[in-house]
Amino acid sequence: MLEREHTVVTINGKEYLADPGQNLIDLINSSGENVPQICYNESLGPIQTCDTCVVQVNGEMQRACGLKVEAGMKVQTELPQVQMAQKEALDRILENHELYCTVCDYNNGDCEIHNTMAEFGLEHQSRPFQEKPYNRDDSGSFYRYDPDQCILCGRCVEVCQDVQVNETLTIDWELQQPRVIWDNDVPMDQSSCVNCGQCSTVCPCNAMMEKGMEGEAGFLTDQEPGLLKSMIELTKKVETGYGPLFAVSDSEAAMREERIKKTKTVCTYCGVGCSFDVWTKDRQILKVEPNAESPANGIATCVKGKFGWDYVNSEKRLTKPLIRRGESFEEVEWDEAISYVAERLTEIKETKGADDLGFISSSKATNEESYLMQKLSRQIIGTNNVDNCSRYCQSPATKGLFRTVGHGGDSGSIDDIAKADLVITIGSNTAESHPVLASRIKRSQKLFGQKLFVFDLRKHEMATRADRFYQPKSGTDLVWLSAVSKYILDQGLEDQQFIEEWVNDFNAYRESLEPYTLEYASELTGIPREEIIQVAEEIAGTDKVSICWAMGVTQHMKGSDTSTAISNLLLLTGNYRREGCGAYPLRGHNNVQGCSDFGSMPNFFPGYEETTDDQVRSRYEKEWNCTIPKEPGKDNHQMIEAIHDGNLSAMYVIGEDTGIVDANINYVTSAFEKLDLFIVQDLFFTKTAEYADVVLPAVPSLEKEGTFTNTERRIQRLYKSLDPLPGSKPDWEILQLIARELGGSWNYQHPSEIMAEAAGLAPLFAGVTYERLEGYNSLQWPVAEDGTDEPLLFQNGFPFEDGKARFFPLEFELEYDTTEEYDLHVNNGRLLEHFHEGNMTYKVEGIARKTPNPFVEVSPELARERSLREGAEIKLISPAGEATGTVTVTDRVRGKELFIPMSANGKSAVNFLTDNRVDKDTNTPAYKEIAVRMEVLKKEGKSPIPSNNHRKGSPVPQISVNVENKWERADYVFPGDQVNKDG
Amino acid sequence: MAKSITNIKRLEIPKEEQQARDLEEVKEAVSENKDAILKGIKLLNALNETGTLDSAYALSHSKGKALKYIVEEISKDHYAQMLENIPEIVFMLGDLDVKTVRETTARVNEGIKEMNETGAEQKTKIIDLAKALKDPEINRSVTMLMQFLKGMGRE
Repeated sequence: MLEREHTVVTINGKEYLADPGQNLIDLINSSGENVPQICYNESLGPIQTCDTCVVQVNGEMQRACGLKVEAGMKVQTELPQVQMAQKEALDRILENHELYCTVCDYNNGDCEIHNTMAEFGLEHQSRPFQEKPYNRDDSGSFYRYDPDQCILCGRCVEVCQDVQVNETLTIDWELQQPRVIWDNDVPMDQSSCVNCGQCSTVCPCNAMMEKGMEGEAGFLTDQEPGLLKSMIELTKKVETGYGPLFAVSDSEAAMREERIKKTKTVCTYCGVGCSFDVWTKDRQILKVEPNAESPANGIATCVKGKFGWDYVNSEKRLTKPLIRRGESFEEVEWDEAISYVAERLTEIKETKGADDLGFISSSKATNEESYLMQKLSRQIIGTNNVDNCSRYCQSPATKGLFRTVGHGGDSGSIDDIAKADLVITIGSNTAESHPVLASRIKRSQKLFGQKLFVFDLRKHEMATRADRFYQPKSGTDLVWLSAVSKYILDQGLEDQQFIEEWVNDFNAYRESLEPYTLEYASELTGIPREEIIQVAEEIAGTDKVSICWAMGVTQHMKGSDTSTAISNLLLLTGNYRREGCGAYPLRGHNNVQGCSDFGSMPNFFPGYEETTDDQVRSRYEKEWNCTIPKEPGKDNHQMIEAIHDGNLSAMYVIGEDTGIVDANINYVTSAFEKLDLFIVQDLFFTKTAEYADVVLPAVPSLEKEGTFTNTERRIQRLYKSLDPLPGSKPDWEILQLIARELGGSWNYQHPSEIMAEAAGLAPLFAGVTYERLEGYNSLQWPVAEDGTDEPLLFQNGFPFEDGKARFFPLEFELEYDTTEEYDLHVNNGRLLEHFHEGNMTYKVEGIARKTPNPFVEVSPELARERSLREGAEIKLISPAGEATGTVTVTDRVRGKELFIPMSANGKSAVNFLTDNRVDKDTNTPAYKEIAVRMEVLKKEGKSPIPSNNHRKGSPVPQISVNVENKWERADYVFPGDQVNKDG
Repeated sequence: MAKSITNIKRLEIPKEEQQARDLEEVKEAVSENKDAILKGIKLLNALNETGTLDSAYALSHSKGKALKYIVEEISKDHYAQMLENIPEIVFMLGDLDVKTVRETTARVNEGIKEMNETGAEQKTKIIDLAKALKDPEINRSVTMLMQFLKGMGRE
């Protein structure tokens, strides 16, 4: 019945085939007919506020964007009364918006008001512009609102309510003169706004605008306010009629193209992998402009990606290599630094052997740089002692997936998470750690009936939104997961067909679940028996389930096993190989995935091929003309141990402030002190650099080319927005200088050549080329030689010999608990606005003014018990060390749980408290297992969270912009009706 | 045994060394862009000779101020009419039928020429007018004028 899948619609007498349920305006746009539209944007869907897309449908004037196509629909877009209604709507917009394009910072060729009026050929305005009785709101850090220019299209509200789902913005249609308001009409700085910046991205004009653009984008816009006003008046006098005005302002916009550079890049913060254009003028960053084509994020961003780039131009950037001489560092020229590094590396290799050296790659650096680091280690030095910082976070998830399904990455795309019927997050503060991905879940849950179950210690934003929220006892997720699996099996609710066809080792798994009775699980996890049953029944009874997890699972002694249990449960219920299903270990850094993918691991070559595999090893030995040791090298954790044991005397660390982010920093920094040679490569003089012998100044992502791989296994190109700050160099160039100095015959002119070499060696990336990654194109590995990628994994079976996945039996024993002496449990994690230790985000002034201090979250119960109040000073003592901090009392934590953000530095750094416990399978530090006792230093004080922090705001949830309230206003007449009435 | 230290001795590049490096950079740029630079010198020379260079120099130095004065001055009311006229004149040019205007202008010029040849003190009586209408040149002019008056009065 193929013909029923299409609907025939007549537009201006011509017939068109529409998809069923298609929005009429989409059909009109694809037909090539020209209908003005200002509030409509494909990424947002219809808002129906601007009335400019009025057309005649079956004889009646209606908004095209408000209709879905129906068979036999007759649409007229060119009739005189239709044009009159459209003109009426456009006139109303110009009553709200003054056109002074030539002196407007938004006049960059993409102003939708300008373009719509010009395309419509509107020459004169019927009614004059009306000033509104409101001042500009300039109170925020990053963008401002000018009510005088606002046309009340409501795009900002739509994006805030239903895309970002932060629910801060509304339009108050009850006001005499409606306007956009924040929360319950407070200044934006005092509101719940998280500064994701999406309102300024989608605003069709200059009403919501990034502050970075103000007075910077135009040639004539950088004037004192008084003069600017005179110039606006003058512009209006000279440019009678819109034709000439557009001609002048279009020329000025064209001139701006010469001066403003727009470069596509990939965000350097979390693993979501947002891509966007960066607008720069010389070294100044004007704004970040996401693109509907951005594969991971579309038009979405968070505060860090949109506004967190000040660190790039920080005065604290290193611009000269440093060499330790005596009691101080000396700045030296590059030649000297490189030959010093090469000499010392050679000396240590010759006297102590290659395995006395260790290399740590950065998951903030590019795939190409990870590849070169492991090549330096394996080819030039001859050791497998190379690892990366995903050891600190996501190695256990990778392990769990390798055991069961064979690929260590997300099973599908972010789109699949959005399509799931049920999303379960475990140990993931998604809204703060992966904000743009979290928004997809929030949107699906708010608008499309997706269910959300959250398992977490802490009642963070996702927990408050969840349909069900569970707080299992720390470190016991494996137990409830296994109990749920057992219950499903006991009730016969498993997907028998899927298991039979696709999974091995069923019986061993079934037996291994025996101990996980409901009683046992309930006792260990603290989740009541009935609730475990409910969870099991929901999972078994739901078609598409996706499970997302993060550090709350992996940074435990049982991190790999728990990740395995998640994958086992998904296999049991047939939640692999289909859209909307699967396992999603949410990667933390921008390139956690890629750094491991491209071989900076002690046991793997690029593409996860084992060093012990003779065939693989000889492939690399032949290509690189060298001998590579067979046995895996040391991981990060083992390297630090080896230093203490006297078995490692040189270390080279790229872009990682190990001295803050590794667990048990006292132990780590005392290891650094024992090194004979410590090379640190970074943008800044970090805490870790203080222990270095050589510090090499590298560049941030905006100053180089390369590729990053996000949590979806998506490889994306970044282009160079800025030249390297004089004196600093991209990591790949530095690595090449060192390799050449050590006799390597490296000769890469461009990162694309490094990728070509890696793709030629690692079958997983066989078809990856820079040409295929041009612009916003991307590839999700594995990539076949012909360029076919796999957005959804396992379509052709699982990457094991027989194409089947495997159940992996597990055991559990509770190894961690608080004690009578150390009676409090410390949890830690990210904050939305600060990234990790904050060495980038604290340099962003607008972030630092709203979130200047670290803090310790204490539950109201515990505060009462210890007589603490907001702002109290406390000292936390663990067996490994102590830290002090300032208290905020909040019900985000309960009972004897404490929370310290990872961005806490100095004396509050959580890693003064962590110890040497690790995940037994991957040596990932068990950051989440810290028992402490508390000493109160001061009972109350000033809150560490300022009043203008978004956590203190009051969101106003609603769906969309409530346009019905506009239509009900006494002063509103639909332009179609107006025209009919006026005749 | 490397303790944590934070002292950094800055690399002081001697002034002469820095100058030498800068000079080298400039020399390279000059050699790469020889033609453009020579043309540029010619241009500068020309601007200098006409005095334009001095004015441009002075103007760019006080660009902000100059712009302010200009904008303030021409924003005054008595310029309003002129400013409005600028685009109106542009529109008028667009509307005029230039070919006809040129022909008419030629006629007007002929008329002026004839007029200037005639003494200003000469008087014309009604009877002279009637006679004059018989002159084909005068008759053509009067007919045209009457058509013009008709067209001008049309709503």
